[in-house]
Amino acid sequence: MPERVEIAIAVLVLIGILVSSGTMYYTATVMSNVSTVSTDLSTLTESVGNLTDVVSDLATITGNLVQSVTGVNASIADLKARLAEIEASLAVRETLIVGTTDSVELTLDPAQAYDYFGWCIMQQIGSTLISVKPGSATGADFVPELATSWNSSADSKIWDFTLRQGVKLSDGTPLTANTVKYSFDRTIELIPSIPEGAPATGNLGYDLIFNRTEVLSTYKVRFYLNFAFSPFLGILSCRASGIVEPKYAPIAQVNYTAGNARASTPLASVGPYVLARWERVGARDIEIRLDANPNYWNLASGYPKLKHIIFKFYPDAATLRLAIEAGDVDMAFRHISPTDVLDLQNNPNLRVWWGSGAQIQYLCFQTKRAPFNDTRVRVAVAAALNRPDVTETVFLGLAKPLYSIIPPGMMGHTEAFKKLGDANYTYTLNLLAQAGYNAANPLKFQLWYESSGHYPSSPDQALLYKEALTDPALGGVIQVDLKSADWASYKKNRDDEIMDAFLYGWYPDYVDPDDYAFLYWAGWLHINYSNATQVALFNQARATTDTALRTQLYAQIDAMAVQQCSVVPLWVSGAWAVTKPSVYGIYLDITQDMRYWLISK
Amino acid sequence: MGLRTYIVTRILLTIPTLLLLLTTVFLIMRVLPGDPVALHFEKKATPEQMEQMRHLLGLDKPLWEQYIDYLWGLVDVGYFLAHGYPNLGKSMQVTSEDVGGQIFSAFPATLELAIYSMILASVIGILLGVVASKSYNSVLDHLIRGSGTVAYAVPVFFLGIVLQLIFGVYLHWLPTGLRINPSVEPPATITGLYTIDSLLEGNIIKLFESFKALALPSLTLGIVLSGIFIRLTRMNMLETLRFDFVAAARARGLKEGTVTYGYALRNAFLPILTMMGLQFAMLLGGAILTETTFSWPGLGRYIVTRINFRDYTAIQGAVVMFGLFVALVSLAVDILYAYFDPRIRL
Repeated sequence: MPERVEIAIAVLVLIGILVSSGTMYYTATVMSNVSTVSTDLSTLTESVGNLTDVVSDLATITGNLVQSVTGVNASIADLKARLAEIEASLAVRETLIVGTTDSVELTLDPAQAYDYFGWCIMQQIGSTLISVKPGSATGADFVPELATSWNSSADSKIWDFTLRQGVKLSDGTPLTANTVKYSFDRTIELIPSIPEGAPATGNLGYDLIFNRTEVLSTYKVRFYLNFAFSPFLGILSCRASGIVEPKYAPIAQVNYTAGNARASTPLASVGPYVLARWERVGARDIEIRLDANPNYWNLASGYPKLKHIIFKFYPDAATLRLAIEAGDVDMAFRHISPTDVLDLQNNPNLRVWWGSGAQIQYLCFQTKRAPFNDTRVRVAVAAALNRPDVTETVFLGLAKPLYSIIPPGMMGHTEAFKKLGDANYTYTLNLLAQAGYNAANPLKFQLWYESSGHYPSSPDQALLYKEALTDPALGGVIQVDLKSADWASYKKNRDDEIMDAFLYGWYPDYVDPDDYAFLYWAGWLHINYSNATQVALFNQARATTDTALRTQLYAQIDAMAVQQCSVVPLWVSGAWAVTKPSVYGIYLDITQDMRYWLISK
Repeated sequence: MGLRTYIVTRILLTIPTLLLLLTTVFLIMRVLPGDPVALHFEKKATPEQMEQMRHLLGLDKPLWEQYIDYLWGLVDVGYFLAHGYPNLGKSMQVTSEDVGGQIFSAFPATLELAIYSMILASVIGILLGVVASKSYNSVLDHLIRGSGTVAYAVPVFFLGIVLQLIFGVYLHWLPTGLRINPSVEPPATITGLYTIDSLLEGNIIKLFESFKALALPSLTLGIVLSGIFIRLTRMNMLETLRFDFVAAARARGLKEGTVTYGYALRNAFLPILTMMGLQFAMLLGGAILTETTFSWPGLGRYIVTRINFRDYTAIQGAVVMFGLFVALVSLAVDILYAYFDPRIRL
């Protein structure tokens, strides 16, 4: 073979070897890669497997998470429902339902309203310049309300009041001295057209007391009085001095407007509550609802404690008692009878609150004709009365015998009538004998009492007074004919002066002896009694701020009253309220006011 | 005569009856001694104020003019449409309030109580009466008769208080008074009947509370009134069950229930219907004792308070409306009577 061919073959073989080597190398490499890839693939597969496991785990976790979230959502829903329940229960606890037998008599206008319940509502929704401190024992602890400070001239005929700034009326305008002046000017201007109103002559006599009101500056007002009047602060704290909002207080009287609570009172809505609802049927209240007032001048104090007060009205004490026992109402106030309240005291589901009272009852004699135109006869009958018997038997000790027209706790209270005693038959017989009365010629008269429930337990009282006056120890010297009339007829009989002797009662307009002492000769009692000396002492007492002198003067009035017996004090009531145990913050003080904004549950 | 003719005739005959009633009330209020204005004011007002009141009430006009005004006020459709109640004058106590408005605000409470009381009285009385008649002279019959007598004899206020004690005070199941739970706002006034207004409002809670409040007073009145219906139903059923058509119905194989309620009771029902009408009319005047016991603010309590306040125009208005209710209910009963018994129309 030629050499070239051998070389070519060698080259080819070499090339072949190279190619083969390369191929093999390549193949090996590829195989290696493949192997690597396989390994990687395996790894990958493994990883994928792992990943799958992870994903599976993730799915499981996600599933659990979803379940947990669902559970959480359910829990949240539960929580919301429970929160709503709690809120609902809180809302119920934020509402006080009060049962009462009272009713607003006419209106909630300070120029006219002269009934206990009307004044009660007015106190919750309006404000006066000053008020009596809750829990006061004397009724003379005055605290600022719409006025922050005050002072008077030396003769007490000029009074300056500095008003609280920042108090707004319902339309956003500030309550200023002009508002105060308007309130008092309006009240006095309405007196001739509202003769039965509280400020009227014969009641509080604002037109006799006030001379004029003057605006000194935006927040300073001055009152000029016709005479020095020491109970002036007491007058200013009573509901007849409520500050009105001119927009709702035209000079013409504002009456109840059905379906419009706001238009039904001219009072400025600056008190703790607003009148949210006032439903009446046939001039009797069905429901009154008070809502917390965001415009209340004293919100910073944390009052009112309760957001809503709902008054429900019951026809008599028996139905009211059933309502509080059944739990239909949270609180029963005015009137629960003494028998019922003592019984309810033993009820573990109820709580009875006790307080001092200032409601008094007294016996009046018609002095213009026989037999009571003879002072000896009046004194004789007064001495034969047995007060403790009445207070224990009828009121079960919840009223106290009263021996002065001024109730205990008030300045000027004495025990003057104790001088005559109770059931003092020896003294009675002596006096009647002097007046010509004996068994053969007995003293005969009619004793009247009110029979429609205006005064508590009148029939029972009258019966006991008669028993005392016709006691066998008197030997038949006194003969009493009991007579009764419903309230409207009773007042008419009083005015017609046909009742020989009659039982009458009194609540304080303001807590001051000035509001009581005049009862011995009050013209509206029509007993035709007058005593210039007593009146002079009375006027002197109201003209001085010297407490010691006033006390002395009222004692003198009492002493004369014992000698004359035109009007004989009988008893003074206590005060009580019945509530569920969850109710707190009730003050029953001498003012007889129920301050609902202090109450909490 | 046909039913329609009968109805028209009865309506026309009711008019002179009403006129007689209204005239009598008018005359009585003005003939009685005493000046109502002076009595109302009890000498507290000045002569000028009393004159102003007389003018407001139209008492300063001649009697014939007052009479025309009085009648016109009742038929003045324009006034009725504008106010929703007839013109019965102004209240003497609150002179800005219409007596018609006062009466019509108190009336729904009385109407609601009357309706449910009458339903209960009728159902209890008629059912027990039928049962008693069916078990004549048995122990059950005597028991039912005795219960009916006791039910009618027991004073309504006493029964009311007993139910209040049991269900209200001891069991705390039902409220002792008022028209609705004090913590629940009353439904918006549409008809004035809380149950109907709650339904119209779609408020189940208010509906439930309204029925709860109605339960005791309507049960009290219902039990007392059922006594009459028990005896009346029993008596009439005993008589009717003796009739031949009842035997014939039984002979035809009708079920006893059908015979009793479908045949006998239908025929015995007419006197019961008359009594239902009379009792319902009386209830519309206001069940004073029941309303007082359950603090129900209806016409009964309204009239009592108006009397206490010497509000003569309100008293007159209430008497007039009561007379109208009785006349209207009597008319309705007569018409129903004629519907059930065609012989009446002859």
